[in-house]
Amino acid sequence: MPIQLTSQAYCKMLLHTAKYPHCAVNGLLIAEKSKEKKKDGHGVPVLCVDCVPLFHGTLALAPMLEVALTLIDTWCKENNYIIAGYYQANERKKDSKPNQVAEKVAARITENFSEAAIVMVDNSRLTVSCSEPIVVIYDHHENKWRNREVTMGSFEDWSEAQKITSALLVGRSYENLIDFDNHLDDLRNDWTNPVINKSVLDLC
Amino acid sequence: MASVSELYDVGWEEMRDKLRKWREDNSRNSEQIVDVGEELISDHASKLGDDVWIIYEQVMIAALDCSRDDLALTCLQELRKQFPDSHRVKRLTGMRLEALERYDEANKHYDAILEDDPTNTAARKRKISILKAQGKNGEAIRELNEYLEQFVGDQEAWHELSELYINEHDYGKAAFCLEELMMTNPHNHLYCEQYAEVKYTQGGLENLELSRKYFSQALRLNNRNMRALFGLYMSASHIAASPKVSAKVKKDNIKYAAWAANQINRAYKVKFMKSLVKLLELLSCFFFCFWQLCKTS
Repeated sequence: MPIQLTSQAYCKMLLHTAKYPHCAVNGLLIAEKSKEKKKDGHGVPVLCVDCVPLFHGTLALAPMLEVALTLIDTWCKENNYIIAGYYQANERKKDSKPNQVAEKVAARITENFSEAAIVMVDNSRLTVSCSEPIVVIYDHHENKWRNREVTMGSFEDWSEAQKITSALLVGRSYENLIDFDNHLDDLRNDWTNPVINKSVLDLC
Repeated sequence: MASVSELYDVGWEEMRDKLRKWREDNSRNSEQIVDVGEELISDHASKLGDDVWIIYEQVMIAALDCSRDDLALTCLQELRKQFPDSHRVKRLTGMRLEALERYDEANKHYDAILEDDPTNTAARKRKISILKAQGKNGEAIRELNEYLEQFVGDQEAWHELSELYINEHDYGKAAFCLEELMMTNPHNHLYCEQYAEVKYTQGGLENLELSRKYFSQALRLNNRNMRALFGLYMSASHIAASPKVSAKVKKDNIKYAAWAANQINRAYKVKFMKSLVKLLELLSCFFFCFWQLCKTS
């Protein structure tokens, strides 16, 4: 089951990447929990409706990652969501391969959601105009993470995602994006990003 | 587009003071520095006195960060005119070449500085940054280790080395770097807390106990460090959940974890109480897997 990104999920991922251009960033992809368990669920894409930006800078340390995963998982359960994937943008511009951290977190997510995907941001193609999708999606097949071709079908509505992301990048909305690191610095910072979510909704 | 002074209703003195604060904090908010600095130097350069040179340097580096080569070159040219033989300005020339990914030329500049002055630490550190930018982490680590043998007191370098080791998942060596930093900065709660995180990630009962102690120490140094509080909760909970500990150690750690949970709840002011109870329930089945995963690699 391939994943599909909504405008909100895609846009917040890119805003997070743009907020910390000199750091690696990562976060979780959130999907709505499906109401019935389809026996034959193949071919139906999993819609990632949102993402939660996690950290910037050093990603390879465990304790805060565990705290974040636990708190976000609890929040998901309360809102009928599920953690469906993981995104990461590496520190260097030309590096867009998933590393050990990405694989480990994704493996953990897979234990709760078998179709979890890794979404890597291709930093070298990040532009304000967002003329093309700049993510690379990896699925787990036969014990390896393999990348899959990203098409317009990987998005719920690519032209909407493109329009919204570009507008928010130009408007420097990323200055107000909150990740889990910001939350740990000051608990009042809300990692669900209601302000940005509202901006996205207003632009839809 | 409205100017910064119009948008925020500030005068040039406030802009100059803001730039000074950002210099002192060493913040990397390059877009803001470019916005404020560009306006300051184009409209008020004559009023800045001798401060103008350090502002040119600050704005130049921020401009490189924002791919504003036009602005960077303007600042660089002013600095070259004023300080024609300066190594400090030569280093900035090198940084501009780095930003343009002309690494070989940049290295030549730094080598020229080092030939003239082998103790020039800035040039050596730029060479190491080039290695890092090229993804040559192994070499960067080697060079940085050599550098630190000579310049043992360079804290920025120790911290950079600890980060390089963490990215290579060499937690033991990262811990060593942080130990150096803690020795010279015993009151710095951030180093304590980072050391605790590294120990926790290393895994194993002994490291978990050390991590708990250092999370506690960080809290003692700054009781508002949320990472230390969460870390104390997580490490104490894991120790309590471990089958290898005695009943007394288990009991003590449950107490520590409960105390930490209480403090966390107070910090969140009851709003997240439900999440915390769930957290306690989930912990036993949810997460010591992560450091298990780290251990097996």
